[in-house]
Amino acid sequence: MTSLTRRQALQTAAATFAATSIGFMSRAAGVPELTAVEWGGGVVDAMKLIAAKQDKVTVNWVLHQGGSGAILPKIKATWPAAEYDYVAGWEGSFNGMLKEDWLVPVTVDMVPNLADIPEKIIVKNAKGQWMAVPRAVGGIYFAYRADTSPIEIKSIEDLFDPSLKGKLCWPGPTQSMMLQIVALALHAGGDENNMDPGWALMKKLAESGNIGRIAVTDTDFTTSLTSGETVGGFYSEPQLTSVAAAFPVTRLTKTEGMPVFLYQSGFAVFQNRPNLQATLGFINFAISPEMSEIYAATAGEAPLNVKAKTPDNLKHLAFTPEEFDKFVYVPDFNVVLTNQDAWAKRWEDEIAPLI
Amino acid sequence: MDSKRRPNPLFLPAAGLFLLLFVLPMAGLVVESLRTYVPGRIGSAEGAPFTAANYAELVKPSFAVFFFQTLRLSLAAALVGVFCALPLAHWTARKLSPRWRTLAIGFFVTLMFLSVLVRTYALELTFGAVGPLGPALRAIGISTNSRGYIEILVAAGLLHYIIPMSTLTLLATFQNVDPRLTDAAQVLGAPAWKAHLTITLPLCIRGILAAFLFGFTFSISAFVIPMILGKGRVLFISNLIYTRFSEIANYPSGAAISVVLFVLAMLLVYVMTHLVNKRWAQ
Repeated sequence: MTSLTRRQALQTAAATFAATSIGFMSRAAGVPELTAVEWGGGVVDAMKLIAAKQDKVTVNWVLHQGGSGAILPKIKATWPAAEYDYVAGWEGSFNGMLKEDWLVPVTVDMVPNLADIPEKIIVKNAKGQWMAVPRAVGGIYFAYRADTSPIEIKSIEDLFDPSLKGKLCWPGPTQSMMLQIVALALHAGGDENNMDPGWALMKKLAESGNIGRIAVTDTDFTTSLTSGETVGGFYSEPQLTSVAAAFPVTRLTKTEGMPVFLYQSGFAVFQNRPNLQATLGFINFAISPEMSEIYAATAGEAPLNVKAKTPDNLKHLAFTPEEFDKFVYVPDFNVVLTNQDAWAKRWEDEIAPLI
Repeated sequence: MDSKRRPNPLFLPAAGLFLLLFVLPMAGLVVESLRTYVPGRIGSAEGAPFTAANYAELVKPSFAVFFFQTLRLSLAAALVGVFCALPLAHWTARKLSPRWRTLAIGFFVTLMFLSVLVRTYALELTFGAVGPLGPALRAIGISTNSRGYIEILVAAGLLHYIIPMSTLTLLATFQNVDPRLTDAAQVLGAPAWKAHLTITLPLCIRGILAAFLFGFTFSISAFVIPMILGKGRVLFISNLIYTRFSEIANYPSGAAISVVLFVLAMLLVYVMTHLVNKRWAQ
């Protein structure tokens, strides 16, 4: 029988520890390790594909829990010790980060591929500095499953149809920055500065009994639609892409009276991180034409790099100038962001008791 | 000072931990609840002025609706849980052999360790709109998307945890009651049900209260169960607190709701304990 002395056991343990430590240290020393916050589903899958096509950095992926604003309190809790090298977000969450002065301004010198991104879409601070790197454009709009919806939805009025009882999946008060109520307000003659008509219509919709589920996370929406619990609602393209992978989905992006909101998806780069150059390098790689196409195909957001080709399955997100004027509404995101607190409370006061 | 009244030094580590992990964070929460919040910011600004506005805005009917909804479903779940647990605990303590009792206790403990998420999704998949029972429920006229049905589903989610927890609590209570007392009552002519109601239950009342309060406090602070089973339509106060902190970043408002919920829950626990002690003091 083979026996192991205590000394041999300790030597073996020490050798094993040393070997694994050397392996870990050499890896850590060779390639910077980034911590990035991304959306789940197709978005993080796309970013993993992109990360796999380079060897300059390795990435620890952290996923948004709930809306993209949910990460902000976690960052605030540890600030100025930022835990993340970049956080994926959009205009809404970027504006919150700007107000807290957390972000690194970016330039074409730092991220050369920014030269191929339309400048007017880049989020800027009060000094005009570029504060986030856009990677793609997504949309938030009305859509429904063509195979299960009892009616063909063509206008906001159709949402009140009795045949849709319990069949709508409606974003919760913290989803989509309440653009769903802005959409109702636009239909009723208001806008983000005059939301009363929208709230009146929202009350009417809540009272109709047609809302079967209030989606409080992205997956609530995809699960509800794919399981057949509900048939339609108002949500963003990545979630609709997930549903459309298995079921026919009609997106109402070019239907008069059904507002479309476009948003930029992009990267916010944080101060006080040790790997700033590596982070900027990875982001520059991710927005290159080839990677933008990979991202678009998997994530369901159209590329912003002018040299990248928009895939056929995202043609509904391509608008001619005339179509853009007719169907797309660009709200004042500063107004939208500033009112989130008041609108969430108004939802609790006026809408939640009705649904 | 009488040495018997002096605190035992062994108590100090626990007291220190309590101070560090509970009292200090709660004090921070109270201070935050009194800060002014500027919309668009993330939490209150450093040195923001003090205000009572975060509490004042809670004095409105909609908050009362959320609070009473939480209270109503929590009370119902805790009561039903105790009623279900009472016979289970009595049966386990009095009727089972030691071997089967050990197995039964192991089963209840296992239930306690089962993840809340697993139980919740199991209920959602079975009784939800697209679960196997969905068509059967709809066939007998029960809409799986109606508010009443969703409330029952949320209460069922709470019961998943309350029943094993209450059973284990009551098991110890029943085991501490001498069975010869009810035997004596029956020998003197009392029927079994009367002996049980007038002797066993009064002797167990503090255990029953403890089981009820465990279930009630668990329910009133439940977050995941109403979030998943409530379909965003049946919300508990905990869900509102989460929204304030994590989604719209209004820390002062979230802190004010947390403090109010804490105070009201403590008040309810105190009142119930006081009433029971007063009624059954002898």
